[in-house]
Amino acid sequence: MLERDITVSNRLGLHARASAKLVQALQGFQANIFITYRGKEVNAKSIMGVMMLAAGLGAQLRLRADGPDEEAAMAAMVDLFERKFDEGQ
Amino acid sequence: MTMSVGVLLLTHEAMGGALITAARHVLGKLPLPLDVIEVEPGSDPDSTLRDATLRARSLDGGDGVLVLTDLYGATPCNVAQRLPGLGVHMHCVSGLNLPMLLRVLNYPEQKLDQLAQTAASGGRGGIFVDHA
Repeated sequence: MLERDITVSNRLGLHARASAKLVQALQGFQANIFITYRGKEVNAKSIMGVMMLAAGLGAQLRLRADGPDEEAAMAAMVDLFERKFDEGQ
Repeated sequence: MTMSVGVLLLTHEAMGGALITAARHVLGKLPLPLDVIEVEPGSDPDSTLRDATLRARSLDGGDGVLVLTDLYGATPCNVAQRLPGLGVHMHCVSGLNLPMLLRVLNYPEQKLDQLAQTAASGGRGGIFVDHA
C-alpha cells in the first residue's frame, strides 16, 4: 500500500471537470485508490465520490493506492495534480 | 467487442439537452450511446411513444436501453413505462439530475440491471444540504 499527501494547487480545485479527469485517468488501474480529505475517505474512481470532497484550492489530501499496480496508479494521480489537471492555473 | 447499454433521456422541455450539454462539458467525450427526447407541452403522447420506440431501438446494441426521466408520474415517464409493451428491452429510472447522468456515464461497462441501480444511487447521492 502506498500513501502520499498532496495539496490541491489548481485554482478551481477538484471541481467537476477535474474530478472527471482524475476518475478517467484511474479507471484502468486494478489498485483500489482512495482520497481522504477532512476525515472523509472516498473511492478515487467514483466521480460523485471525488466531487463530494468539495476540495478547493489549497486543500490537503491524502492519496492511497493499494493493489498490484499501485505505484503506477499513484504516479498517474500525482502527475495530474502536479499538472494542475492541465487547466493552466 | 463488448456490448453496451444505450441511454435515452426522456424529459420535459429543455431539460434533457441541457443535461447532456453539462455532462459533455464535464466529461469531454461521452462513453455510451445517448439520445434525448424533450416532450413539448401539449404534444401527443402517442406520437412521443412512437418516437421513443424508434430511438430506443436504434440505441439498443443488444444490452438494452436505460431510460432516464426527470419526473416520476409525469408524461415523459408515463410514455417510458409503455416501451416494454412495444418490445423495448429497458429499465426506466426517474428523478433525473446531473449527478445521476454523470454517474451512469462513469460506469459504461455495466449491464442494464446494474446500471439502473447505479443511476438511482447517483441521483440520490448527489444531494447535499450545507452545514447551516
